[in-house]
Amino acid sequence: MMNNPMLKAPLTINWALTNRCNFNCRHCYSRTDPSQELDGPTLKRCIEKIVKAGVLSINFGGGEPLLRKDLLDIASISSQQGLRVSMNSNGFFIDKEKAIQLKHSGFSKVGISIDSHLPDIHDNFRGIKGSHRKAVCSLLYLNEAGIKTSLSTVICKINHRDIHSLIDFALQNKVAQLNFHNFKCSGLGYSNRDELDLSPPEWKEFYLKAIAEKQRNKDLEISLDDPIIASLGLSQDNNSLVKGSVCGKLSLNIKSNGDITPCGFIPIVIGNIVRDDLKEIWFKSSVLEKMRNKKPTGKCATCSSYDDCLGGCSARALALTGDFNNPDPHCWEK
Amino acid sequence: MKVFRNPDILWREEEDSKTQAYDGLTKGDDVSEIGTSVLFSDGVMLSLNVLGTEIWKRCDGRSEDEIVSELVALFDVDPDILKKDARLFLSQLATKGFIHYDE
Repeated sequence: MMNNPMLKAPLTINWALTNRCNFNCRHCYSRTDPSQELDGPTLKRCIEKIVKAGVLSINFGGGEPLLRKDLLDIASISSQQGLRVSMNSNGFFIDKEKAIQLKHSGFSKVGISIDSHLPDIHDNFRGIKGSHRKAVCSLLYLNEAGIKTSLSTVICKINHRDIHSLIDFALQNKVAQLNFHNFKCSGLGYSNRDELDLSPPEWKEFYLKAIAEKQRNKDLEISLDDPIIASLGLSQDNNSLVKGSVCGKLSLNIKSNGDITPCGFIPIVIGNIVRDDLKEIWFKSSVLEKMRNKKPTGKCATCSSYDDCLGGCSARALALTGDFNNPDPHCWEK
Repeated sequence: MKVFRNPDILWREEEDSKTQAYDGLTKGDDVSEIGTSVLFSDGVMLSLNVLGTEIWKRCDGRSEDEIVSELVALFDVDPDILKKDARLFLSQLATKGFIHYDE
């Protein structure tokens, strides 16, 4: 078993089917993106394309993917072609019947975004009263329908001290996985970063506590997806094939208009799935090549952790410094 | 005991790497560091070399002994060493939940 293979194609495609959303989240990365949407037949052809390239799984997002009336058809087409199908949703439109339909259309996993165990805080953050209650109900319906659930929480000022409560909340609602997503300064997340983002010492404190809880809680899979964690030098199970950001190494993002970007938080378009060959982009994109071979700059150049974290989150470095080779602004190292 | 792949595991072979590995084998090169397949499930990912891949592909209800005897015919290695390596590899896969044993 080995690390850092050059794969023939992404393992996963994250596909923002729509940028439309019924919520007004203060950290939304796509709300400021007006991209048009691909029609159903075009999407079907594109899905065939990614299957042919060798992609194994597809994760639908947005916007709120359930606002696409043809979501179930798109999922059915994807699962029938052998893709593992999942999505991220705010859960608002998932009732008992919808959960069963999602199961029948081939969804194996649905992640529900919940930012706080406290309804008022979540509702205020998401901009819709009652959204917490709906999200919690959706978890119940999805579990009953036999779909694996995860709880997606973007860590920021409103919840970074609530690790225990969020874990208890996840266990109470019988989710299989709790994802602590790192805050990205993208879209409204960029505009509202002063209000929402943590300082580097706060990130360090959060991760030390979260990793301790992850090691303590064996009944719940806790996922921490931030590459700067490697700089803590703690021994963790290394479950990834690559070091640093996985974007452009294991996965790619497709926007609602078919534009391909390294990840949902990096606004550099490297092709379009309608027009271009996915494998050609995967192997020949100069942007991906640079992301896979980052050059340490600034404090990274002399940091002993660089070989493990590879400068941290490329999206964050690009958003806040203009160059993904620069140190991750969340990094706490001096 | 028969060995079965966990059906929840997504996997694929990497054709270019596979060609490179088999070309290397014919020349007598060490190809143990060339990943010829990738396995993943829920964030856990593995890249397997050519021997690991051939073992993985046979985890479809065959026994360990059947797998080993097939691989002895494929690879120019000492059967005892191969048997030991295959057993260790399968036990690692089982620990990760990628395979299970059944009667």
